[in-house]
Amino acid sequence: MQTEARRLHRWSWPFIAADTIRALILPIVGAVFASGGVLLSRLDLLSVLFVVPACVYAFIRQRVYNYRFTENELVVRDGLLTRNVRHVSYERIHNVALVRNPIHRMLGVATARVETAAGGKPEALLRVISLEAAEELRRYTLGEERTAASTDSAETTGEATPTLQVPDRELVRLGLISNRGFLVVAAVLGAASQGQWWDQDWFTEQDWPGIFANVQARTPGWASWLFDSQTGVSKVFLGLGVLLLLLVVIRVFSMAWYLVRYRGFTLHQQGEDLRADYGLWPAVSSVIPAHRIQLVTISASLLHRWFRRASIDVETAGATDSDSGLGAASGTASTRQWLAPIIEIERAHELVRKMLPEVDLDGLEWKPIEARAARRIVNRIAIAVTPITLAIAALFALAPIPVSGWHALWLPPVVLTTAWMAARQWVRRTGYSLSECAIYFRSGWIGRQVTAVRFVNIQTVSMNQSPFDHRKRMASVAVDTAGAGSTGHRIQIPFLNVEVAEDILSRLYEETRRTEFRW
Amino acid sequence: MGDREQKTGDFDQAEDGEQHPVDRRTVKVARIIGFSVVLLISIVPLILFTIGWAVGGIPGPVYLAILGIWLLLLASSLLLAYRWPAARHRHLRYLVEEDGLCIRRGVFWRTVIWIPITRVQHTDVSQGPVQRKFGLGTLTVHTAGTAGASIALVGLEHGIASRLSDHLRPARATDAN
Repeated sequence: MQTEARRLHRWSWPFIAADTIRALILPIVGAVFASGGVLLSRLDLLSVLFVVPACVYAFIRQRVYNYRFTENELVVRDGLLTRNVRHVSYERIHNVALVRNPIHRMLGVATARVETAAGGKPEALLRVISLEAAEELRRYTLGEERTAASTDSAETTGEATPTLQVPDRELVRLGLISNRGFLVVAAVLGAASQGQWWDQDWFTEQDWPGIFANVQARTPGWASWLFDSQTGVSKVFLGLGVLLLLLVVIRVFSMAWYLVRYRGFTLHQQGEDLRADYGLWPAVSSVIPAHRIQLVTISASLLHRWFRRASIDVETAGATDSDSGLGAASGTASTRQWLAPIIEIERAHELVRKMLPEVDLDGLEWKPIEARAARRIVNRIAIAVTPITLAIAALFALAPIPVSGWHALWLPPVVLTTAWMAARQWVRRTGYSLSECAIYFRSGWIGRQVTAVRFVNIQTVSMNQSPFDHRKRMASVAVDTAGAGSTGHRIQIPFLNVEVAEDILSRLYEETRRTEFRW
Repeated sequence: MGDREQKTGDFDQAEDGEQHPVDRRTVKVARIIGFSVVLLISIVPLILFTIGWAVGGIPGPVYLAILGIWLLLLASSLLLAYRWPAARHRHLRYLVEEDGLCIRRGVFWRTVIWIPITRVQHTDVSQGPVQRKFGLGTLTVHTAGTAGASIALVGLEHGIASRLSDHLRPARATDAN
């Protein structure tokens, strides 16, 4: 079976050209600088130099680009000078993400990224195709309804009630919880300081002492101490005020960021898989292949818990192209993505159960790590605190301030008592659990996370001992999965008694060895 | 016991589900490589300093002091290059059973890792130039994992390495299509 070659949408070239120009932006900036800014005033020249060639290139590229579906492969032909034919087997495709910004939507098209786990780059970039073509692409590559007469069922799945829907007020709440806005504020400040957008003269020309005196004069007597410059209290309050303002601004930006990026977040069940649609700019539609979920984590920070909310993220992975040559690493690229950016704690377990029926976070029998771990954590902190105390003592003694160096000695007891309390809480709430089909690990006190990995998804299991572990007869147990990113919570159970660790290790090995890993 | 551990040339022994050390000659291989690397790296600054001294850029006493430090560093590096491979070998054990491989290693930071055959993607047997002289090889087991995407067992007798490689390769039908 082989379909006819499909071409890109006829309005593809502006998108290709735009991406090309974006890729050329550095040379363009370089050229502008090289010309001493002359080019900036010659927009016509710039467009002739860059825009017109980019458009011509894009147009030719659009004409040569085509793709077809065979029995089990997507075949993509591309290339201007060197013709390139790429075969991507459906098996390996683990996501077809559709990206749509408002321009896409105006033209009724989408950029489709065909992603396998091999490397960070998409295996094929269909830029751009119509929505019908995108549906067809998904049907073939993701395989749910490859047989004929699938249109009806496709429509019904489209109308099915969503598994999860995140309303705007939840996103606002998420913005309140998250610190994401900090990045926005930092970016804005950075840009502002670079571009000098604000008028520095305006700032310096203000009569600041006058304004201060004015405010001071209007302040009622009982609050006058606020502005008493003798005590310095005013400075502290001013600082606190600025801090508070910054916090508020960060929160506002966080909310805005989440509203733009995750507006209308919905999860749809689509055959075996899940489909997440979200975002105003860009609008993203991405398929999460349920059977390729390697690991699932539920996280709840302190603020999350105040609102009785949590977030769920999953790591998916696909096979790399192991035929691509000898010595090709068989490791996989990771994609950690949100299953739910924010969800009621009660519903989180339910959603995970729905996605991975074997994983049930309710009614688990949690086993603790060693209680004596708290002592080791405090010891570590004590080792870190000693030089800091000495440094502060020296600073106090040498700096021209009327504080004795001895005051630094307050630091160790305060830090160590707090550390002791925190460590005990942390140890009490950190633990693991083994069920019929999965291993669970939870950790954290103020911010808590639980991660589950099914035995089927375990690649290797290991037990590790640092010299300190060895001395205290402790060990940690770790589980390796496909597509594990460098960040994020994973199964890594520290501070176990050596015998316990060995038991867990052999149990995990037994479970893993019995099952077959499937992509 | 110590005697039996020394010669692991017999495959039946290697696959018996017991812990085995790798070939003792790998210590020699590692020492040869270690010495060559240490000498190669240390010779460069010596030449530079000597040229500096010869053209008069570095006064005699300073040169002598540098020479002393250089000798000290060289001696300690050579000592390390001599002692470390033996320690590493002492702490390295592997175990092969019906459907898995276990490697136990680490002088200070110790690790026990279990690799089930069902998770092996493919295996490599490689041989460096010095290893070839001694008939040794390195077995690398690839999994779909991340931290454990490729796990190397250095210093097996080459024959054992290839046979283990065959044993560990999954007997599954081709999953390429």
